[in-house]
Amino acid sequence: MPRKSKPPAKPGGFVQTTVEIEGRTETRIVEMPAFEPAAWGDDAELGIVGARVPRMDAPERVSGRARYTADITRPGMLHAYILRSTIPRGKIRSIDLARAAAMPGVFDVMGPGDAPEGARLFGREIFYAGQPVAAVCAETERAARNAAVAIAVEYDALPFAATFEDATAKDAPRVRAKGNVMEIAPLVMSRGNIEAGLKAADVVIRREYRTPVQLHTALEPHGAAAEWEGDRLTVWESTQGIFRVRENLAKALGVPLSKVRVIKDYMGGGFGAKNSAGPHTYTAALFAKRLGRPVRCINDREAEQTDSGNRPASTQRVTIAAKKDGTLTALFASIDIPLGITGYEGGPGQIYHEMYACPNVRTEETFAYVNASGMAAFRGPGYVEGAFGLESAMNALARELKLDPIALRVKNFTKREPRQDRAYSGNNLLRCYSEGAEVFGWSTENRKPTTENRPLVGKGVAAQVWPTGGGPPAYALVRLNPDGTIDVLSGTQDLGTGARTVLSQLAAEALGARLSDVRAIIGDTERLPYTGNSWGSMTTASVGPAVRMAAEDARNQLFEAAAAMLKAKPGDLESRDSRIVVRDTDRSMTFGEVTKALGNVMIMGKGSRGPNPADTAIMTFGAQFAEVEVDRDTGVVRVTRFVAAHDAGRIINPTLAESQLEGGIIQGIGYALFEERVLDRSLGLVMNPNMHDYKIPTMADIPPIDAFFVGGADAVANHTGARGIAEPPIIPTAPAIAAAVCDAIGVEQLEIPLTPWRVLAALRTAERQSVTPSQRPGPPRHRP
Amino acid sequence: MRLTVNGRVHEMDAAPAVTLLELLRDRLSLTGTKLVCDRGECGACTVQLDGEIVYSCLTLAVACDGAKVLTVEGLAPPGTELSPLQRAFIEKDAAQCGFCTPGQLIAAHTLLAQNPHPTDDEIRAGMSGNLCRCGTYPKILSAIRAVADAGVPQPADHHAA
Repeated sequence: MPRKSKPPAKPGGFVQTTVEIEGRTETRIVEMPAFEPAAWGDDAELGIVGARVPRMDAPERVSGRARYTADITRPGMLHAYILRSTIPRGKIRSIDLARAAAMPGVFDVMGPGDAPEGARLFGREIFYAGQPVAAVCAETERAARNAAVAIAVEYDALPFAATFEDATAKDAPRVRAKGNVMEIAPLVMSRGNIEAGLKAADVVIRREYRTPVQLHTALEPHGAAAEWEGDRLTVWESTQGIFRVRENLAKALGVPLSKVRVIKDYMGGGFGAKNSAGPHTYTAALFAKRLGRPVRCINDREAEQTDSGNRPASTQRVTIAAKKDGTLTALFASIDIPLGITGYEGGPGQIYHEMYACPNVRTEETFAYVNASGMAAFRGPGYVEGAFGLESAMNALARELKLDPIALRVKNFTKREPRQDRAYSGNNLLRCYSEGAEVFGWSTENRKPTTENRPLVGKGVAAQVWPTGGGPPAYALVRLNPDGTIDVLSGTQDLGTGARTVLSQLAAEALGARLSDVRAIIGDTERLPYTGNSWGSMTTASVGPAVRMAAEDARNQLFEAAAAMLKAKPGDLESRDSRIVVRDTDRSMTFGEVTKALGNVMIMGKGSRGPNPADTAIMTFGAQFAEVEVDRDTGVVRVTRFVAAHDAGRIINPTLAESQLEGGIIQGIGYALFEERVLDRSLGLVMNPNMHDYKIPTMADIPPIDAFFVGGADAVANHTGARGIAEPPIIPTAPAIAAAVCDAIGVEQLEIPLTPWRVLAALRTAERQSVTPSQRPGPPRHRP
Repeated sequence: MRLTVNGRVHEMDAAPAVTLLELLRDRLSLTGTKLVCDRGECGACTVQLDGEIVYSCLTLAVACDGAKVLTVEGLAPPGTELSPLQRAFIEKDAAQCGFCTPGQLIAAHTLLAQNPHPTDDEIRAGMSGNLCRCGTYPKILSAIRAVADAGVPQPADHHAA
């Protein structure tokens, strides 16, 4: 349990607060902001915040002018390529770098022993296929890649484990130096008493659900360009966290933090995989140091699909118990997660504790290490996998009880966040159900039998919760230039989410400026104030309040300066469209006239993110509705219609926020229907490390999507009233689609992706059995 | 070899294994066109070659001798306004991270040049060779729809032609 935040201290004093990052709760010490702007509630009169303004950097993105990391060139720049292990476990017996070093255009080669300990690169012991073993630096990318092929590596292979079952077997090989199972295993979260809940139940359902490994597949691969000037290192990196990459680099290379500068201008997607420095970063920085020339290192697609993070698979054995009226009495899940060679405990369990008002909930998660590339956070980590189990079980329960699945969810709606028994800052989940259902035309009555028709048609629903409060520390500066334009300075990142636009809107609103006068400058650790990683749907709710405060601070200074010029009191001034007006008079000055009169006297506002409200759950909610067609001859599932209703507090820019919803849903459609990394159990190799065999959705796979927001400002969460939105929409998509397929063919879907052969097998089951699903017996390891 | 790129003529040499994509990005500094899969699976490197779309990562530069190439930079040369399609992409929010966008634009531009009034299904089929991971497909569809419905002729063909 997080400790309580102390009541707000005086400005400048320090207090303790809690911040939830992707389900993990962290306690932080944070200074109280010098002042706290009054919260913008629903009655706030806002013109720019809430407006559908176009993405401000879109002209760069549609013209080819936007510079991504792979587009960075520096005078004298060389190119690096990383050679990777072709076996999953073993030791390097010998490695011959000499031939590669002698190849045309090659400048340098690194292998075992050439990287500092902290970089954990080019080790002699192999733990997974795709592990970096050596690297080449050459004049061109092609020369570097060609030379890497000439590196001769001989391995002594060792036994490996590629699956959870293999890694946890009695005579399992040693996956890594320390144990094969995470020390905390099983990670138990529990409230109430499961046995009591089962006794009180009228119906008990047991199911085993399986989810696949999903690959981020950002179109821009991981990459970095590095350049040293004396003992100062500059790195251009495609990253979600410039300050974290700076910290990683300083630590790994033994360089003071202040000597490392990390820059990120445009990036081509991250989705959780780009939160830290990686082998490409260290390789570029090390070669650049050794050679005294800039070096760029960009992953090729195979490296990207093999060794740049993934959403781990899960097996979830779920017991769900309820009264006849649908009231949940017990919810239990025993969950296995094969992490890869590294990972953290952000598992499927938590959403079981947060979604519904069930008094008795218990999850037991076992995280095993396997000889495959390590997992990484992937949009809604844990909750996406967990939602497939939990929401599928809820839909199974609804079928068993012959209840409408929405009515079942409404019945179990929780007014307080149940895991930590906290009040919500705001919760419009019930409106997500009702308004989503209305738009979708949800009805479980009067369904026409579809047996005579083809294809088969079905409908499904699922719901979602995700912590999106954001929090400190996050800083921003807002400065007025002599020409009256405004710069917002903050060391955050825009992954393609629209952060530049949203922060500019907040600054323009708070200053009373024209949006076209505002520019957000982000992505540079040396020249901009700190903000954290753009992860956990946190950027708007973390950085937004800091930007608003900085803009209000700047406006106060501007009014002080203008008051004398306008012969008025600062309190009598107001601003709109970059013009300062003396209230109830016709006296006014533009921002430009004031700043011109000031010359090079600079107005600079400072803002910081204050603490979160104590004992409050700040979360985003949603309900999604899918309609599918199933081809009974081929087993192909097509999503034909999709509706999503989400509550994320105030929406700063509905157009951009809806794009986030659609993006999450489309990745969820991929997760439900196509996406699965195939790791051969006997070879330990990824069999589909490309974009043909690993299928992400195309435009032809996507139905009309009606994604929208319900509810309004969340004045409790923070003074902008906004919560996060990036991750929530991917969470309920797969279980909604699986429920629709079940509705279409009459057989529950226990495993995704719903590939044609899986669906054909289910159709054969449907033909053999009656249309109502039989209750499957629980597997042997399942309890209670 | 001689190559006309966005209306400008280039005389250059290319080794046999050099791709059109490498030539554009590394030699001509036209970095708008992106390398993503390097094997013709994603469409990010799509350019127009003599009026047809090609994956420039799979097209050998030497095979393009005498050809006319259109890249995203050619849709709105410096000093000109963005094309109707580019403006529609902005208006409909059809670019999130923007990494696939140059390829999407060239594919859409070529689609409309060949079929000025496509149905939605024709757009879906025509654009299904260009992958987007951010999930901008609905917005790309509506951007292309808007340009097609407005009946605005695609102006940048003076480069390709």
